[in-house]
Amino acid sequence: MQRLLLLGLNHATAPLEVREKVAFSADGRDRAVEALRARFPEAEVTLLSTCNRVELYAARQTHGHPRPEEMIEFLAQFHGVDAGVFARHLYQKHDRDVVAHLFTVASSLDSMVLGETQILGQVREAYDAARERGGTAALLNPLFQRALAVGKEVLSTTAIGEGRVSVASVAVDYARRIFDSFSDKVVLSIGAGKMASLVLQSFAQLSPRRLLVCNRSADKAAELAGRFRGEAVPFDDLSDHLTAADIVVSSTGASQPIITARQVTALRKAMRYRPIFLIDIALPRDVEPAVGDLENVYLYNIDDLQQVVAGTMDQRKDAVDAARGIVARHVDGFAAWQRAREMGPMIDRLSKRYHQLAAEELVRTLNKMQGISDTEKSHLEELTRRIVNKLLHDPISMLRKSEGLHGATTQYLHALERLFHLEDQQQRGQQTDGPPDPEDDRGPGE
Amino acid sequence: MPTIHQLVLVSLAILLFAVGLGLSVARLRIDREGLRIASKACVWSGLTAALAVLVWHTAARPTGSWLPLEDNFEAFIWLAVLLAGFVLYVQRTRPLGGLDWFVLPIVIVMLVAAMVLGKAKPKEYVGTTWYWIHLVSVFGGALAFAIAGAAGAMYLLANRRLRSKALPHGPKLGSLERLERITFASVTLGFALLTVGLITGWVVLKLDGQTGLGAHWYKSPKVVLAVAAWVVYAVVLHAPINPSFRGRKVALLSIFGFVLMVGTLVAVNLVPGGGGGGGGNGGSH
Repeated sequence: MQRLLLLGLNHATAPLEVREKVAFSADGRDRAVEALRARFPEAEVTLLSTCNRVELYAARQTHGHPRPEEMIEFLAQFHGVDAGVFARHLYQKHDRDVVAHLFTVASSLDSMVLGETQILGQVREAYDAARERGGTAALLNPLFQRALAVGKEVLSTTAIGEGRVSVASVAVDYARRIFDSFSDKVVLSIGAGKMASLVLQSFAQLSPRRLLVCNRSADKAAELAGRFRGEAVPFDDLSDHLTAADIVVSSTGASQPIITARQVTALRKAMRYRPIFLIDIALPRDVEPAVGDLENVYLYNIDDLQQVVAGTMDQRKDAVDAARGIVARHVDGFAAWQRAREMGPMIDRLSKRYHQLAAEELVRTLNKMQGISDTEKSHLEELTRRIVNKLLHDPISMLRKSEGLHGATTQYLHALERLFHLEDQQQRGQQTDGPPDPEDDRGPGE
Repeated sequence: MPTIHQLVLVSLAILLFAVGLGLSVARLRIDREGLRIASKACVWSGLTAALAVLVWHTAARPTGSWLPLEDNFEAFIWLAVLLAGFVLYVQRTRPLGGLDWFVLPIVIVMLVAAMVLGKAKPKEYVGTTWYWIHLVSVFGGALAFAIAGAAGAMYLLANRRLRSKALPHGPKLGSLERLERITFASVTLGFALLTVGLITGWVVLKLDGQTGLGAHWYKSPKVVLAVAAWVVYAVVLHAPINPSFRGRKVALLSIFGFVLMVGTLVAVNLVPGGGGGGGGNGGSH
């Protein structure tokens, strides 16, 4: 039988400087899933990496691999960092807790910005990437499909996303606290991704004097600049653009900071020491933290902005309660499905095995008994059947009453397998059918 | 000399300004529209009471000119009225949250000073044209520096909030850019007026020689502090030439300059031999 395991860290357990060390780019995530599959072929794995969290989901045989320490070792090796840097920030969850956590994450209840819709798309991307690489099968397929359905239900049926303040709007609010007017200001975007687009959209509404987009890919820069009547500028001239800029939005996928304190210090004189607002929404960060210590330089990273957004959640408490109710209901549903999925066949195998043993013993006994009538034979058959049923009644009843995906239940099932030699009969299902009422979540993206 | 009834009315104005200030500061915890309106009503009422005292005192003056800065009582109330009027004007035209937190305490201090120091008798030379120009320019400068100091303090608070990366409750303090602009504009105006005040003060000294400063007038605390304030503001105005000297440094200096100006007033009125002979007019002669 399979058990669920989750190892991860998020914005609540790890600061930005730790998260950025173990974050995966899309390409890195795909390579990591392939590496995990190669190393642990018996296990199912999915890797979710966003700016707020890195979570490794695994479904494995009881006492199978990967074990938590192997997952930590894998993360450390993959990123080339010492495990001590991040290990104390990790959380581990098992079985039902994994289900509850993933449903909570997909519903954005675990996000720094509650009600944000981007997480649902990120969970879907993580699942798709793992599925395409054979990382998901009998347990993670239904788990992630159900998680997507739950997330969609929460976001569409509760008011959790209403009145939500976006990171972009918070960035503009901060800009208004620094600058009085924007008609004489220059906004520079370094990077041309989705987040840059969202933030630039807000700044474009302020009608700045110039809006520059600087990206390694000139085509992407031109495309984004065109959308906001801006100018695409060469990445090689970044220092010149920084000198001209009053507001800088940085969101590249660079693994090292592209704006350093030394660089900005050297530029300050040319900038006439005027205030500059740097919004670093990249992970790993694009701007060295020390830049924020410079006089008249205001540096905000994704955590700074999200924390402000999160502070607006009080007014949505009712919606959060409703969302938690939905999540709890679906966790129960999934657990029941999992229980039926795991226990049904096992109870069936147990019952068949012992009735078969009893039948074999009965045949042997009957062969030794001469002149036995059909009625007496029938009575003996009934007797053995009743004895087997009585013997199995208590353990089966207890299993049926216990809740699926709880540690105790999985221990029972595992013990049952070992004590009654049921493992050899078990077939590792590769079915991808989900729990009852699965919703194939291919709904609108974020 | 204010009458007892006038002093009671000034006390009422102080109380109204204090309540208005308290209600405005309370918005840091509970940012309700009701508090804003109540605070504004108190400030308007306080301003009305202070103006009423001013009119009453001027109208009741038995002799003398119509010049409004004839004694400490009028001078300090004028400063308070103009400062409170500035707050209300800004809040009406282009609101600047938190301006009253920094300006109203100065208003209250001015009104208290009017009550405490307003009993001094005016000097004979008060009526001269040079002296009147001196008074108006120095008081005008003090007013501008009070606004610069308040804007500087607001800048520091706004800057601190931005550095702490939190969006606290209550009204926004205004952008750093606007606060810096207000500081510069006020310092520029105040510097010009203070320069005129210093020159006319020197003229009064040379022409009339009745200022009570004596032969060593240049050593008197009033003159030293006034010149020091002038130097500080000259440094502040130097910022556009040397851009590294802006932001927090300008804000701190504008506050320091205002403290020196307050020191000048204290020297004039409270320090024996400080320049006002312990009972001079308006703290500026």
